Amino acid sequence: MPTDNKLLSIGEAAALLGVSIDTLRRWDSAGRLPSIRSGPLGHRFYKRTDIERFLQAIDVAARDWAESTIASQPNSDVYCQTRDVFQARLEKFQMELSRVAPIEVVSLVTAVAGEIGNNSFDHNLGNWPDIPGIFFSYSIRDRKLVLVDRGQGILTTLKRVRTELISSGEAMKVAFTETVSGRYPETRGNGLKFVREIIVKNPFSLYFQTGDAQLYLKKGDEELDIQPIESKINGCFALINFEELI
Amino acid sequence: MTIDLKKFGTTLVSRPSGKEAWLAFQPVLNEALPEEKIIVDFQGIVVLTPSWADEFLTPLRAVFKDKVQLMNITNPSVKATLDILDEH
Repeated sequence: MPTDNKLLSIGEAAALLGVSIDTLRRWDSAGRLPSIRSGPLGHRFYKRTDIERFLQAIDVAARDWAESTIASQPNSDVYCQTRDVFQARLEKFQMELSRVAPIEVVSLVTAVAGEIGNNSFDHNLGNWPDIPGIFFSYSIRDRKLVLVDRGQGILTTLKRVRTELISSGEAMKVAFTETVSGRYPETRGNGLKFVREIIVKNPFSLYFQTGDAQLYLKKGDEELDIQPIESKINGCFALINFEELI
Repeated sequence: MTIDLKKFGTTLVSRPSGKEAWLAFQPVLNEALPEEKIIVDFQGIVVLTPSWADEFLTPLRAVFKDKVQLMNITNPSVKATLDILDEH
């Protein structure tokens, strides 16, 4: 991993953000994410901190809520305490997205969001550590959505059926690659595998964190690039970018 | 018989709603004749996920096996869901 003060090439920045190089050029011209021009040919470079700040910009409230040691209910406009509220808001999102995107895109984005959001309820029902439900927020303009829970996290859930798991990174890998359900004796549990299948076959990107493990996933990825992260959360945090789909 | 799936909704994403659909539909399924084909029509479905399908389609196939036929499965989330279910 590059150090904080090292400049990233446009290719490295694009990979971290899960967008194409052309998109970054467009964002640069529009002033949305300015680059640093360097070298004799004036190539574009990016500060790692700028990329990280950009990634967090639209979901800063969600991350604060996920990381806070003080449990509090989110604002009512983003808080889905129960599955019914989530379903209603997901359908509202679907309707708004369908004004700017074809049904193929609406279908896939909503399916990924629906699976991740419902996973939170499936695995924490009756076991929420403090605040029940999920934080669901989106920006159609920025083509992003965020889904967060303050649940038990994937490691705690999967450890019930896979006792050998000791880290969030291992648990995340199992959840994204194997059919295993933390809801023993249910044999099902392929929600995050489904999410992965869709993301890697379409111009989407996903940032996912559970515990102290994080994952960036984007189109074409064959391996899971799971990395440790210092700012631990207990539940799950998912940020989906679908800009390149539209 | 033909099951017009959109009568359960067009955004079929959660386990509880899939389970509820399965339970609610039992009286109709019980009327199926021994050799009758069970056609599941996905026409009009906008969003389907494995969570919903696992609770409805998986038990339907377990009971009626080869008699279950699927039609109008072109929606991308329907296709992706069926791909995942068929792997297992």
